[in-house]
Amino acid sequence: MTILQIAILTIAAIMIGQLHKGRSLALLAVSTFAVFWLQPAEPYRTLVYWLPLATLAIVVFSWALTSIPETRGWKQNWPALAVMVGAALLMDLNHSFRLTQVFTADTPNLRYTLIVIIAIAAVAFSLARWQRANRFWQFIAFIGIVLIFVFLKSPVLLQKARDAVAALRAGNTGDTSIPFAWLGFSYLAFRLLHTIRDRQTGRLPSVTLAEYVNYVLFFPSFTAGPIDRLERFIKELRLPLPLASEDWLDAGTRLLIGLFKKFVVADLLAVISISDVLVARVNHAGWLWLFLYAYTFRIYFDFSGYTDIAIGIGRLMGIRLPENFLSPYLKPNLTQFWNSWHITLTQWFRAYFFNPLTRVLRSGKISMPVWIIILVTQISTMVLIGLWHGIAAGFVAWGLWHGAGLFIQNRWSDFIRPRLPAWTRTRSGQTILNLAGIFLTFNFVALGWLFFTLSTPAIAWQAMQKLFGMA
Amino acid sequence: MNEFQTTIGEYISSSVLKQPKRQIRFDEPLISSGLVDSFSLVDLALFVEDQFGVHLDDTELNAQTFDTLDQLANLIQGRQSK
Repeated sequence: MTILQIAILTIAAIMIGQLHKGRSLALLAVSTFAVFWLQPAEPYRTLVYWLPLATLAIVVFSWALTSIPETRGWKQNWPALAVMVGAALLMDLNHSFRLTQVFTADTPNLRYTLIVIIAIAAVAFSLARWQRANRFWQFIAFIGIVLIFVFLKSPVLLQKARDAVAALRAGNTGDTSIPFAWLGFSYLAFRLLHTIRDRQTGRLPSVTLAEYVNYVLFFPSFTAGPIDRLERFIKELRLPLPLASEDWLDAGTRLLIGLFKKFVVADLLAVISISDVLVARVNHAGWLWLFLYAYTFRIYFDFSGYTDIAIGIGRLMGIRLPENFLSPYLKPNLTQFWNSWHITLTQWFRAYFFNPLTRVLRSGKISMPVWIIILVTQISTMVLIGLWHGIAAGFVAWGLWHGAGLFIQNRWSDFIRPRLPAWTRTRSGQTILNLAGIFLTFNFVALGWLFFTLSTPAIAWQAMQKLFGMA
Repeated sequence: MNEFQTTIGEYISSSVLKQPKRQIRFDEPLISSGLVDSFSLVDLALFVEDQFGVHLDDTELNAQTFDTLDQLANLIQGRQSK
């Protein structure tokens, strides 16, 4: 998001925070509007309209599939539906208003939009109606969302899609950039998958359409997280307004800290952050370490600054989002680093992948040595977290790096714990171990970023050799 | 009264930390401190389920749900009395 967009959304949040009644619907209106408004330009121009509409459709379908009859009544939900349809039609009408600063004027013809919206409503209605088949459709929806996610994260598949569209248009694309930059889908998908999975296991709280859409599309966290959990979010949403004065102070401080971290510190560090070009041109190890540390801090300040902004804007409306970062670079081991870096994503993967897999392997009929289970579960989880960022060799390598690191740390502490000499239990002994741990962990994480940010593992390997004076 | 805390504390000292003599305080952070890592946490859940007949869901194995022996004991107590 740009500073202007943040400023406008902050004003919207302040206004919502002032409401004594109707926060849920006001929030819904702003969030729906933001889904359209924030969508970046596309080479195929009407996609700027269709992608946000598809976002709304997927969210409504998921609600229809996961809701229970008590919360599905027409009376409770028509205002939310009206707000969403109204926002979608209003955005479409921008071809008449031509407010191009706000949204593209290349919106589709109203007739098509109406047909699509009626079709979406019909599908949602049928999904909600056919209760008995829901388990099947929940399964299909889960797989479908994962497949779209894989498609959007895979440069190869995106390229194929672009070529296919270009062929249809007889080579007349007018633009070579990759289409389908579907705003917010990475985060949206993981919220939806959580609700579908929890409905399957019977743990999902029952919510109305407005509550569900507010959770999934909550505008402060829509584009870059945190990935909250539905039960936590609606507790916040159901708390009464207005805010106390300390809420204002907290929200404002958090927002300003976030803006400073993201737009001052991170943007300054970006200038000297390690890159393919720097790795190719600079041979001096000292400089490369500096560039690497610059990137290490930049990615932290950028992402955690963004989270601070989201948390601050959320608080302006009386909604506390979960923390995503808790001083990750000051942790004495890799396990603790992963307890404090992109926390909500890591917890998602623990809850829906690592824990179930470990449970099955631990209580399964075939007894496997503990170390094999740890190796398999840590590596696969970390590789998946890597792939979440994009389907590319570098992200896989980054996942392997951390998976291997967690495995080695686990085995090492298992080995060393009973053998630690008495001095390590004294206060000064603890401090020394802690400082050594922080130093090691920080540098391990920093080196890992090479795979994450440089375009191929080969370049990352070259950088590593230069850093250690081996090239 | 503190039966849950003691039993689970002994389990963590002996099976997770492999330091049977180590005493774990009832208010000592277990997860956020990294004392119990993600793998041992699943084992801990299986132990609690076996020992006390209470289910801990995969989505609950995190420091927000419980981080200390006291908090875990509360959770177990709450579920047993249901």
